[in-house]
Amino acid sequence: MTVRILVADDHPIVRHGLKTLLVGDPTWEVIAEAEDGVEAVEKACRLHPDLIILDVTMPRMNGLEACRRIRKSVPECEVLIVTQHDSPQMMREALDAGARGYVVKSNAARDLLAAVAAVSQHKTFTILDHRAASKV
Amino acid sequence: MKLRILVADDHELVRRGLCTLLQAHEDWEICGEAVDGREAVEKAKQLKPDVIILDVGMPNLNGLDATRQLCRQNAHYKVIVLTITDTDQVIREALDAGARGFVLKSDAARDLVAAVEALQRNRMFFTPRVNDMVLAGFLDKGQNASASVVPELPKLTPREREVVQLIAEGKSSKEVASLLNLSTKTAETHRSNIMRKLGLHSIRDLVVYAIKNNIIQVQLPVGAETRPQSPIV
Repeated sequence: MTVRILVADDHPIVRHGLKTLLVGDPTWEVIAEAEDGVEAVEKACRLHPDLIILDVTMPRMNGLEACRRIRKSVPECEVLIVTQHDSPQMMREALDAGARGYVVKSNAARDLLAAVAAVSQHKTFTILDHRAASKV
Repeated sequence: MKLRILVADDHELVRRGLCTLLQAHEDWEICGEAVDGREAVEKAKQLKPDVIILDVGMPNLNGLDATRQLCRQNAHYKVIVLTITDTDQVIREALDAGARGFVLKSDAARDLVAAVEALQRNRMFFTPRVNDMVLAGFLDKGQNASASVVPELPKLTPREREVVQLIAEGKSSKEVASLLNLSTKTAETHRSNIMRKLGLHSIRDLVVYAIKNNIIQVQLPVGAETRPQSPIV
């Protein structure tokens, strides 16, 4: 079954990079893009994707706040945070906000596919750089 | 013959995005990728690309200093600076360094394609805000041609700027020496010369100097950003 994905990042080139990586699995389909948290929430409520890839630092509304709102309004939609913040504190905040996965951007090329595969099956995936990885 | 492009960004995700975007153009090819400014300078020497796209905030050697080195090495290099911030200082430094294109990471992907197309035709490409600033600077220069010259801060040599970046990134004199192929003693001499020239007394002061002068970029906490676009990719 196709996993319908929404990609939210304020930098078009990063969205391009994410989409390029996601082409790796034919069962995944990027159905829409958003360039800030407000647009991500609006599109999540309208399109009901299976999974949302959310950047944290975005204009108008950051990814953590968007994650909280999406999880409240569209609880069946899983959230994978992809961020430059290589920090346990940020990861904890993301999980508290309802995210199921957390990937650091500098490792995205290595971790994104495994993270999307896990999170789309409602499994937690969190890896920080240079630290012990934990997969559940 | 295809236009050969060298792409330098420390994030693989961004390089992927750039490569996919640019390779979609049938007359362009990515001849190389670099993960920091130092590698970009080395690869440019070997590969002789037609266009070089450089991120500003890269480790070891930032994009602005890499642009300076590249343009000094070969004045015909066509460099596009890719940045997350369009402060006056960064724009000015990019232009002074010899960049012929300036694109914000928050700009649409088509702006980058337009920038490469412009440089391919031996033209320059700047986002509208940069165009306004260049024009304003030109007009201002005309009006104040006879105004008194403001004394400048002591200028660092390109090598000293490299050393500032490496120290501000937390590297020891030994590591600086190894990265720049110098003796530890020479690295230490550079370090003391820099501190003396700038009137600084601690590494903390040096880090502040490096941040203020766009030699390194810092990661701001979520919610701390005040600019319309995010501070780091």
